[in-house]
Amino acid sequence: MQHFILEQALNLLIKNGSIDIKPLESKVIRFTLVDQLLDVNFICTNNRIFVNSDTSASSDVEIKLKPIVFFALFKGEDLTDLLRQDKIHIHGDVKTAQLLVDLLSATELDLEELLSQYTGDIVAHEMSKTAKKIQQAVKQSSSPLEAIKDGLSELLIQPQVSKKYTNPNL
Amino acid sequence: MSVTILETTLPNKSMDNTTHFGFKDVPTDDKQGLVKGVFDSVASKYDLMNDVLSFGAHRLWKRYTIASSNVKEGDKVLDIAGGTGDLAIEFRKKVGESGQVILSDINAAMLGEGRKNLINQGIFGVNYVQLNAQYLPFESNTFDCVSIAFGLRNVTDKDQALSEMHRILKPGGCLLILEFSKTDSELLKKFYDFYSFNVMPKLGGLIANDEDSYQYLAESIRKHPDQETLKDMVLEAGFGFCEYHNLSGGIVALHKGIKT
Repeated sequence: MQHFILEQALNLLIKNGSIDIKPLESKVIRFTLVDQLLDVNFICTNNRIFVNSDTSASSDVEIKLKPIVFFALFKGEDLTDLLRQDKIHIHGDVKTAQLLVDLLSATELDLEELLSQYTGDIVAHEMSKTAKKIQQAVKQSSSPLEAIKDGLSELLIQPQVSKKYTNPNL
Repeated sequence: MSVTILETTLPNKSMDNTTHFGFKDVPTDDKQGLVKGVFDSVASKYDLMNDVLSFGAHRLWKRYTIASSNVKEGDKVLDIAGGTGDLAIEFRKKVGESGQVILSDINAAMLGEGRKNLINQGIFGVNYVQLNAQYLPFESNTFDCVSIAFGLRNVTDKDQALSEMHRILKPGGCLLILEFSKTDSELLKKFYDFYSFNVMPKLGGLIANDEDSYQYLAESIRKHPDQETLKDMVLEAGFGFCEYHNLSGGIVALHKGIKT
C-alpha cells in the first residue's frame, strides 16, 4: 500500500503541475532507503511515474541512502557534499540522480488542492492521519513548504523516524 | 487520432491437445465455446451476482485497479473482457473528451449488457468491439493502458493473449490484470473453499437460475495461475516490469505490467 500511496501522490503532483518530470522521461531510478522497507523503482514514462517494487529489473541509476540523508536532501543539502561524505551511494547515471534530487527540492504544492482530489477515494482513508498532521503543520508553520516536505518525509519514511525532525510545538 | 480497428481473420488452426474448463479436461478448440455458453447464460444477472457473491467487494477491487492505472486525460485505454463496463465507465471519466476508451469482450451478450449499462448511466463516446484477447485487432504501440478484469482465466491461450497485450501497448504503457488468485491464509482458504464450492453455485442457481456456471466459476479460479506464476508469465510476454498487489488476503490480485 505504501508504494501505491507514493505513486498516487507523485502523479497528483505531476497532474497539478507541481513537478515536471519531462527531464526524467524514460528513466528508471532505483531508490533504496537503507534500514527501511522502501526499495522501489521509479519508472518515469509518458509524463507519469510508476512506483514498482520489482527491483530485479535493471535501472538507469541506483540511489541508496539512509532516511536521515534523504531528509537532508529534502532540506536542500547539496548532493555533491553528501556524495563526498559517503552518505549517499549512487550507481549509474549521476545526472539522472541529480535531476531527481532537483525535482524533489523544487517541489511546491498546494496541499488543500492535493487532498481535496482524494476526497472519497481509497487513498484518502490511508493518507488521512498523515494528511491531518501535515495540514495542521502548514497552517501553523511560517514556512509551509518546509512543513509539507516534513509531512512527505513522514509519509515516505515512517512516523517515528521523521518525528525527530519536526518541531515538537507544532 | 482515434484508434484504428483492423480486420482480422482468426487462424483456423486445430489444436489436438487439451486444456482445462474448470476441473474438466476438454479439447483446446472447445474451451472458447464452453466459456461462451457460461457467459451467455449469466450476462443479464452478471452485475447482481457479482455484488451478491463478493459482498460488494468487487467494486472496491475495481476502484483500486482504476486508481493504480495512472490513466490521465487524453489516454487511449482498452478494456478486455470488459463485460458490463464497470472499468470502462471510470476510464472514460479519466481520459476525457480527448482520450479514447474501447470496451471489448469476446461475448456479444456481455458486450450488449455493457453497452446498455453505459447508455443508462449517460456515458457516451466509448467504442465497443467484440474480440478475442488472443488476436487483438489493433496496430502495435497504440494504447496507454490495457486492462482485463476477471477475464484472463477464461482465455484459452493466456501466453498469447499477454503477448498481444504487450504488442498493442505503447512503450511505457501499463497492463492491469485483476483476477482471482490464491490466498496464503489457511483459515481464509478453508472458508473460501467452502463458500466457493457449496454456497456460490447454490446462489447461482437461486438468483441466475444457473448452478453449473457458478460451479465453473469456482473451479476456474482454482485452475488459474497463482500470483508468482502469473507475474512470470507477464514478464515472459515481454513486459519490463511486473508486480502484483494482493487484495482481500490474496483472494484477488492486481498484476501491473509496464512495457519498457
